[in-house]
Amino acid sequence: MASANGGAYSYSLTVFSPSGKLVQIEHALAAVSQGTTSLGIKASNGIVIATEKKSSSILIDDSMVDKVAVICPNIGIVYSGMGPDFRILVNKARKSAQSYFKVYGEYPPTRVLTQEIATVMQEATQSGGVRPYGVSLLVAGWDINRGPTLYQVDPSGSFWAWKASAIGKNMVNAKTFLEKRIEDAIHTALLTLKEGFEGQMTEKTIEIGVVTVPTTDELEHAKTSPETGRPKPTFRKLTEEEVRDYLAL
Amino acid sequence: MSIMELNGGSVIAMVGKDCVAIASDLRLGNQALGLSSNFQRIFPVTDRIYVGLPGLGTDVHTLWEKFRFRVNMYTIKEEREIEPETFAHLVSSTLYEHRFGPYFIEPVIAGLAKTPSGGVKPFIAATDLIGCLNFAKDFVVAGTASSKLFGMAEGLWEPDLEPEDLFETISQALMNAVDRDAYSGWGCVVHVITKDKIVTRTLKGRMD
Amino acid sequence: MATSSVYTPAGFNFSNQIRNTFLQERGVPLPKATSTGTTIVGCLFKDGVVLGADTRATEGDIVADKNCEKIHYITDSIRCCGAGTAADTEFTTALISSNMELHGLSTGRKPQVVTAMTMLKQMLFRYQGHVGAALVLGGVDATGPQLFTIHPHGSTDKLPYVTMGSGSLAAMAVFESGWQPNMTRDDALNLVKAAVAAGIFNDLGSGSNIDACIITATHTEMLRNVETPNERVQKERRYVFRRGTTAWKTESVRKLIVNEETTIIGGDAMDTS
Repeated sequence: MASANGGAYSYSLTVFSPSGKLVQIEHALAAVSQGTTSLGIKASNGIVIATEKKSSSILIDDSMVDKVAVICPNIGIVYSGMGPDFRILVNKARKSAQSYFKVYGEYPPTRVLTQEIATVMQEATQSGGVRPYGVSLLVAGWDINRGPTLYQVDPSGSFWAWKASAIGKNMVNAKTFLEKRIEDAIHTALLTLKEGFEGQMTEKTIEIGVVTVPTTDELEHAKTSPETGRPKPTFRKLTEEEVRDYLAL
Repeated sequence: MSIMELNGGSVIAMVGKDCVAIASDLRLGNQALGLSSNFQRIFPVTDRIYVGLPGLGTDVHTLWEKFRFRVNMYTIKEEREIEPETFAHLVSSTLYEHRFGPYFIEPVIAGLAKTPSGGVKPFIAATDLIGCLNFAKDFVVAGTASSKLFGMAEGLWEPDLEPEDLFETISQALMNAVDRDAYSGWGCVVHVITKDKIVTRTLKGRMD
Repeated sequence: MATSSVYTPAGFNFSNQIRNTFLQERGVPLPKATSTGTTIVGCLFKDGVVLGADTRATEGDIVADKNCEKIHYITDSIRCCGAGTAADTEFTTALISSNMELHGLSTGRKPQVVTAMTMLKQMLFRYQGHVGAALVLGGVDATGPQLFTIHPHGSTDKLPYVTMGSGSLAAMAVFESGWQPNMTRDDALNLVKAAVAAGIFNDLGSGSNIDACIITATHTEMLRNVETPNERVQKERRYVFRRGTTAWKTESVRKLIVNEETTIIGGDAMDTS
């Protein structure tokens, strides 16, 4: 039977090369750098994550493509790399957030959830019969302890906190661009995406998610919404109308 | 005889003005036979959270070690102290995990929660033996003297008691209740938790 | 993510079963858990559904909680009232709420009430009645207002007006005499309040206040303690003991504020110019 740690007949694909590299991980990173550009920017009052969603054919119904995913009311993620691998990680992350909620009665802090995802990705570099995930992730979230935080997770399972970062095809240029200007986050995100964007940038060809930091007053008086008795969401995806308005600016 | 009455013991917690108090008796018995007059069943979880575990003596220790483990893992992993409300949920889900083979303990939790603006907010809660949470705004009771404690607390408690007054109220409620309960008594311990200190006092009780 | 997680594994833990059945065989009865004697009701009206509940939780003949919440959140437009073993209603609804949120996220649509009903009945049937939850499930989805009852063994009913719990007979009497099809929102709320009040005053297992929840296609309104017919009267005297009444033997103070005192050793302060 194939077990997670590798049964008797499964062999690890991820082995060290004599020079001390894990070539499979480097290949996974190559897959990421071929993926569409995604970026995240932390601002004083929130975080923006954004990505291109370009379809290979005009026949594809792009309203069904989701690249920015809500994990729980306070956390959202975006990826560059392989879509199917991302979907698996989204499902696992959502389940992890729910099981955390069931034990502690609150959603996980961004760091804890990032750690959980990173652990899953690391396991794929040390288990038999599996390959590393072909994605890098940007995890944006808000929690009471650390406020708004932005993390990047790589196929190796390593993760860092960023003020702003970019992943995917255009990441080197995008990062240089980001370093020059961190002001109005959504606007900067759009400008950065525009750098090296092929074709028309419209509300149909990009996706944006934002984390909004609640004010102290909001925290004090309504930790939970009176209507639902549930934590108020701090992460949400922008609607196509909202994206269009920002593009028009 | 119910298994909850084997070793005896009772716990009560009350809310005051910017403070909370939690108190219990100190008796451990084998039904009617007294074994110890210094059996601690209230434990410190963090600097500002205490938990009382009345019920079967063996489960007092087993559960406390389980909670200590889970709180320590939480502290290390999240790099922060657990908040009272989060701890209450942790207690509740731990007990419900054992829904079909429960620990014979009815925990009582008392603590001060941090507010976003940096102040403190009193918090108390109790659960039944399978983890049904009861967030009360005034007082919670559990143990063999619970029915008597309900009566005492209902009569004596009032809102916004200062720490020293809360000490008198909780002590008198507990002492007079356990004096009418054969399975609780043999002295009491009271913890009053305020923003900057915790005062622990042991009370002189009847020894019969 | 089960292997790497320090969180509790899914499902129940039976490690105490052997000990507890041994005790039971020796004639030690297992203790009672908190239960909600309860009156819970629900009724359909013109453009939605109204749910109602009392707020008493009992432990045997003791009132354990005078103002507990029995209308549980499932999704933004679905709620569930619970009667029976309090912990079971609490955790079963929380579990299904969690699964409904996952379902909503992965389908990208608002989940339907029948979905929650099916999840609940399958879970309760699986536990053969050992999970003692009797539920009234109501909400509004793409197919319109929906109302169900779910019994502890997993059977379900779909009716325009329903009651559950020990006060269900009293409440049903009110519904049977007062319910009409296509009621207005206010008429439905008043009928639900009257039904719960009948439970509160005629059934010993139910008591204290009335909670209600009105769900329509666009809006969910949770009316916590919409009626408080059993308010406690103001105490006529204060029963605060004079400070120093209670004799104590030992006192220990744990200070949480660390005092720091700087003592300058040597003559002059350091020259910082």
